[in-house]
Amino acid sequence: MGKYLFFVMALLLSACGSNGPEEIKLNSDHCDFCKMTISNGKFGAELITQKGRVYKFDDLLCMISYAKTNTTVPYKSHYVGDYTKENKLIPAEKCFYVKGGIIKSPMGGNFAAFTNSKEQNEFQQKYNAVSMTWSEVYSSIK
Amino acid sequence: MKKLLSILFLIGFICLGNAKVITVGKNSAIKKIKKALEIASDGDTIIVDGGYYSEGNIRIDKKVTFIGKNYPILDGKHKVEVLSVNADYVTVKGFKIINSGHASLEDPCGIKVYDQKNVVIENNILDNNFFGIYLQNSTNCIIRNNNLRAYGKGEQLIGNGIHCWKSNNLKIIGNKIMGHRDGIYFEFVTESLIQKNISNNNIRYGLHFMFSNDDSYVGNVFKGNGAGVAVMFTKNVKMINNHFEQNWGDSAYGLLLKEISDSYIFKNTFSKNTSGIYMEGTSRIKVEKNVFSANGWGMKIQASCMDNVITQNNFLGNTFDISTNGSLVLNTFNSNYWDKYEGYDLNRDNVGDVPYHPLSLFAVLTENTPSAMLLFRSFMITLLDKSEKVLPSITPENFVDKTPLMHSLPL
Repeated sequence: MGKYLFFVMALLLSACGSNGPEEIKLNSDHCDFCKMTISNGKFGAELITQKGRVYKFDDLLCMISYAKTNTTVPYKSHYVGDYTKENKLIPAEKCFYVKGGIIKSPMGGNFAAFTNSKEQNEFQQKYNAVSMTWSEVYSSIK
Repeated sequence: MKKLLSILFLIGFICLGNAKVITVGKNSAIKKIKKALEIASDGDTIIVDGGYYSEGNIRIDKKVTFIGKNYPILDGKHKVEVLSVNADYVTVKGFKIINSGHASLEDPCGIKVYDQKNVVIENNILDNNFFGIYLQNSTNCIIRNNNLRAYGKGEQLIGNGIHCWKSNNLKIIGNKIMGHRDGIYFEFVTESLIQKNISNNNIRYGLHFMFSNDDSYVGNVFKGNGAGVAVMFTKNVKMINNHFEQNWGDSAYGLLLKEISDSYIFKNTFSKNTSGIYMEGTSRIKVEKNVFSANGWGMKIQASCMDNVITQNNFLGNTFDISTNGSLVLNTFNSNYWDKYEGYDLNRDNVGDVPYHPLSLFAVLTENTPSAMLLFRSFMITLLDKSEKVLPSITPENFVDKTPLMHSLPL
């Protein structure tokens, strides 16, 4: 009984658009900016508008380019794929970033996002890349 | 001149005279491939007998011809890159290469060519590798008649079949590629030819171009991929005689064109795709003598496209022939055959006397509001569609074929 209740609750919650990100369906969802099929969750990104519409991207570059060219609707939240996981979205503003080196993302943004600065440092050295903050990442794309 | 020639011949003979043939196998003196490579010198031929070899990463750094007899198996045991080619004029032929390592950044491959010229890779079987064949910074290479197979599933990360990066003058001919992420991927590759390949059931694209100018692909089959072919951020590509088939799915296309210009699409078949061609930011493209049959949408042309010419194509049995998302029309449609055309031809010149508006009202509505599809084939919509054909109000008026053909073209 408890199982069913949980299931019903989960259904209800997902139906009324919870605050979290919507999972990217790899190899099926396409990028709303470049139209490519999203196949690598490590570099995925997601944008949610105030009204709750979800846009998905295959590269952080695509999300920021999209956000900057479509400014009529206010955005509620940005998410990026956690580089250390296969396909998990985390809030973009709280992430630690590295860019460049040997990192190659689908559309050449070449950003990787991490949840803590320890991972950031570790991968920055390993990949010969540059550390960045969210605001630096955001302003680096025109 | 004659003297020069004879000297050249002489040099040739000396080289030939020195070239050895080294045999590797159970019954030969040399049992290991690595040992053979160690004692080989430039110009030698190494023949490997059938059998099973697992020697870790094998690095070819001499100009050798490397031939497998009865498909010897080279196993990477999911740990290493199997063959690395680090010399020019290398030929790799007749091997079965399996189980390369898996990683997301180092891209371990079945066969990888590093910064070389004139490498030939032919008649190999590549099975269950992360990337199949990878050319990096290479010139004048041929990849011919290889059979590549991987078993990518939705969740698992998988590499591309034939991946070419920063290369030019390549020939990719007669390969069969299945189950990879992209069948063939071209990134910064110029002046190359992709011909007679069969790229089926790959997870993302059958063929994918990024920033790769002046290439052609001719006579290939792309069937049942996530989406057929994507040509993006590219100029001057010739697409001739290809089949785009059964690329079904929410975001699937037969051919996706994005930011591309000055290209030619000639005599291709687009059949049973969600959309035959999807174009965005595309300009100066000629689409001539193609067949669009049984697609959801024949072509989707976004308003950001301009100066494209669509002429002498057959549109047969598509749910919608053409769709667009704006009112701006900067493209020309002339002399196509549309099976939905209901006009007449009084002067019998085989050209319809009434212009044809290929855009259906409904195609335009669903472009902006996909859920409106629910009303498709309802009575009201059919009525609206008919009246829209007579008096366009929502669909752009100049979106028109002024010389529609009465009979389909023999293509």
